[in-house]
Amino acid sequence: MTSVTLGNFGRARARTSFWRGWDRFDYVMVAAALALVGSGLALIHSGSRPWYDGPITSLASPVAKQALFAVIGIAVMLGISRVDYHRFLHFAWVFYALSIVSLLALFALGSTAYGSTRWFDLGPVQVQPSEFAKLAAILCLARFFSEHGGDARDVRSLLLSMAIVAPLAGLVFLQPDLGTSVVFGGIWLGIVVIAGANRSHLLMMGAIFLAVLPFAWTFAIADYQVERVAVLVDPNEDPLDSGYNVLQSQIALGSGQLFGKGYMQGDQTQLEYLKVATKDFIFSLLGEEFGFAGAMVIFALFILLLMRGVRAAQLAGDTAGQLVAVGITMLILMQTFINVAVNVSLFPVTGIPLPFVSQGGSSLVSLFASLGLLQSIVMRHRSYRQT
Amino acid sequence: MSLLDEGLRTPAGPSRNRPHGNVAVLRAFILLLFGVLTLRLVDMQILRGEEFAQRSRENHIVRTNILPTRGLITDRNGEPLVKNVGVYSATILPELLPDSQEARYRIYLRLQELIGVSPLEVQTRVDEAIAAGRAYIAIRIATNLPREAALALEEAAVDLPGVSLEVTPGRQYIAGPAFSHILGYIGPQTAEEARVLRQQGYQLNEPVGKDGIEAWYESDLRGQIGYTAAEQNAQGRLITLLGRQDPVPGNTVRLNIDAGLQQYVAELLQASMADNGSGWGDAKQAAAVVMNAKTGQVYAIVSIPTYDNNIYADAQRRAAELERIQNDTVTYTLLNKALNPAAPGSTFKLVTATAGLAEGSITPNTTFQIGCSLDIKGENDVIYNYPDWRCHNMLMDVRAAIAWSSNVFFFLTSGGDLERQRGLGKDVETSGAVLAAWARKFGFGKPTGIDLFGEASGRVPDPQWKRRTKVGEGFAPGENDWFLGDTYNTAIGQGDVLATPLQIARMTAAIANGGTLPVPHVADAIIGPDGKVVRTISPQGETIDVDPRWLQVVREGMLGSVQYGAGARAASSKTTVAGKTGTAEFFKPDGTKSQHAWFTGFAPYSDPEVVVTVYFDIGVGGDKAAPVAGKIIDYFMEHVRP
Repeated sequence: MTSVTLGNFGRARARTSFWRGWDRFDYVMVAAALALVGSGLALIHSGSRPWYDGPITSLASPVAKQALFAVIGIAVMLGISRVDYHRFLHFAWVFYALSIVSLLALFALGSTAYGSTRWFDLGPVQVQPSEFAKLAAILCLARFFSEHGGDARDVRSLLLSMAIVAPLAGLVFLQPDLGTSVVFGGIWLGIVVIAGANRSHLLMMGAIFLAVLPFAWTFAIADYQVERVAVLVDPNEDPLDSGYNVLQSQIALGSGQLFGKGYMQGDQTQLEYLKVATKDFIFSLLGEEFGFAGAMVIFALFILLLMRGVRAAQLAGDTAGQLVAVGITMLILMQTFINVAVNVSLFPVTGIPLPFVSQGGSSLVSLFASLGLLQSIVMRHRSYRQT
Repeated sequence: MSLLDEGLRTPAGPSRNRPHGNVAVLRAFILLLFGVLTLRLVDMQILRGEEFAQRSRENHIVRTNILPTRGLITDRNGEPLVKNVGVYSATILPELLPDSQEARYRIYLRLQELIGVSPLEVQTRVDEAIAAGRAYIAIRIATNLPREAALALEEAAVDLPGVSLEVTPGRQYIAGPAFSHILGYIGPQTAEEARVLRQQGYQLNEPVGKDGIEAWYESDLRGQIGYTAAEQNAQGRLITLLGRQDPVPGNTVRLNIDAGLQQYVAELLQASMADNGSGWGDAKQAAAVVMNAKTGQVYAIVSIPTYDNNIYADAQRRAAELERIQNDTVTYTLLNKALNPAAPGSTFKLVTATAGLAEGSITPNTTFQIGCSLDIKGENDVIYNYPDWRCHNMLMDVRAAIAWSSNVFFFLTSGGDLERQRGLGKDVETSGAVLAAWARKFGFGKPTGIDLFGEASGRVPDPQWKRRTKVGEGFAPGENDWFLGDTYNTAIGQGDVLATPLQIARMTAAIANGGTLPVPHVADAIIGPDGKVVRTISPQGETIDVDPRWLQVVREGMLGSVQYGAGARAASSKTTVAGKTGTAEFFKPDGTKSQHAWFTGFAPYSDPEVVVTVYFDIGVGGDKAAPVAGKIIDYFMEHVRP
């Protein structure tokens, strides 16, 4: 407290206490995130009613569990925000190596669910290495570009940056987890655009990507993915099988209409027509019980949160900080977009949770960790601002 | 603390340079993506929201139909002829069966113990259904389970996932085979029926009347379907009951049929099938109609051979019996012989007699000396000989001719002799046409309009018909001309004329009641579940344009027949019977000649109440049919007469 009131700037700051920098802490960002978590808790409570009827205070309660993870997440966020993000950048390649190893290990040791191997089962908690890998990718890209004059103007650095992300995205794709590999793509694209990639280079890569897509469709994409994409086109085609979730989420969302059916009144959810209503399809639950209006409130919260992320990128004291902020903003944006797109049937079902809202500890903690990085960047931007 | 301090003091790692990115593009991108999602939500929740809301309701609100209790069918005294019963079936819903083949097979084995179905057969049907993607549709593996087996199954089903007991409404026909042709039966809808019935609000699982009264009065018997609406969760468990509409039971159909009489007549016919000395052999088919002489109310309508109409409800187990009656090409069990045409023989002379009197070819006092046959000199002086059935050798008026059933008398009445005696018309063809017109007046050649399905029209030949029909392959040129012999043949009910026993009975009624041709009705009234009459099937009839005096003369002839003539064996100890025998020659499918035996009559003579028509496919009218008719009238006078 003393240090802040002293109002001392310059080298003297280095000696000041724990409290230094908190005046620049982005409370608005955290408030937006907490509002999302709060909405999530309310929705999880409603969505878990069909299968959980114990007391809400019990640790078996999905709401209590989620709240506990939120507390852990906030603690992690606070912890990370106190650490200079350059420290993480310093270890970026170590994190990268760890990510590769853990993603590889997943194939041998991971738990399989719904035909996909994405978790390590560590007793009470499940750890999803791809959550960690996404942050590792952001740190590596930021470090890479900051070491290369902070820009991606030449094709060489552009391709090299792609080579950094590709192994992670590829391994995730093989799990198979189409959604997360698209998130990797989004992170990379966001970072290289801000890092100043040449527009013509990007267009060319885009063209090559489109040309390769049909081959990927045939050879690389697993049958289940083809099926999910096909089901998306016409969910009525096979309503009792793969199309089931898509159709039920459409019905849930659509039937919510303007103001929804009311809290805990959504019969699609309460009568269990909507599957995984507290996880991947929590947005459909929201749409059913709170309607278009409720969805708009959640969108507003996300836009606020993401704009604070953009602000962090703008404020960032150096290229590395800026790119990390951009990467994290893209990470949250892409996850949100893909999840909602799945719920509104614009994207095949892919198992990406809605950030901060969906039930799931691993995702929540790592999201708060990313917010911690953003805070770290905001809190230190003056120290590193070089004019 | 040290970590923080160090971090702040010594910025580690990569070089730091001024950030130069333009983050505005990132802001735009965020807004763009959320814009896309918002547009999609506007489309789904606002533009198409009502449609999805509707689908959501359909999703979880299930309507379960409650089938109404089908109305009963009783005889004229209110005695029920049918009973509503529950039909117990075992069903398997493949998608609820356990996943492992072994566990499934254990269930099949248990089913074999419980209800005796072959496990392999069940397995095949389940596997086929799964392979065809119909795992969510229940398969009926056994139906018509005995009650004990059904109860055992219901108890055991708790431990047999996917297996359940289904109870559907069924019908038991308790009055015996004598009633099968009248009552018909109920059964599941065929695909074509379902398409039509759907529009009348029928559910697919509702049984419908298939024949007889069950089919004719289907709309009265059915009642109104009820339903419950309930909220159901995704696993199919009912959560809350939202509404209920009780079904309305069907109405009872009360018949004119007297159960005792129907049973008696059936037994009597059955017992009289054996050859009683005619030498033609045993009768294979028989029919009888007992009808109110004035109103056409049918007291009994019997067709032999008969069958048990409970077979249909148990078709799976009684497949062999069903197969046999359905493919019976000897006696055509399923065909109601009372509605099926045959040569009417001499019973048709009643029409000829009336026509002769009305057209003036004879008067009540005209007499002819009748010998053994009639010789007619044709063209080129060829003599054609038309024999009578026996040598009468007596002077006959029309009464005696009816009583003794003289052929020659009615040859002369209908066609004349081309010399002294004129026929019904001015020439051979006209006589034929006039006779046919009289036959039609008495209801021949068209259905009687009885409330049963499958009624035949019979046939009334006339010159036009012959010209139209008897041409082409198999016929010589000129063979389609109308000859004197055609008029003669028709006049005595032979040749091409065909009539059903019911048509004969109806004609008899018209003669007995003085000229009203009634529409026969099996049903009398429709009675509501509260016992009140909803609607009566009122007697209908058309008046035949004929002088009642002529009918009186014909009735006198019929009285003579029973009192001293060919129909003497129809006499009753209880009342005065008047009637007419008939013995119609026909060719059996193998080409040999045989005779149908007929008797049609009414009683009491003075005030006719009842008409009885009896038919045997093989026999002599006076010997075989007349005594049966007499016994039926006895029974009627004693037990049925109101």
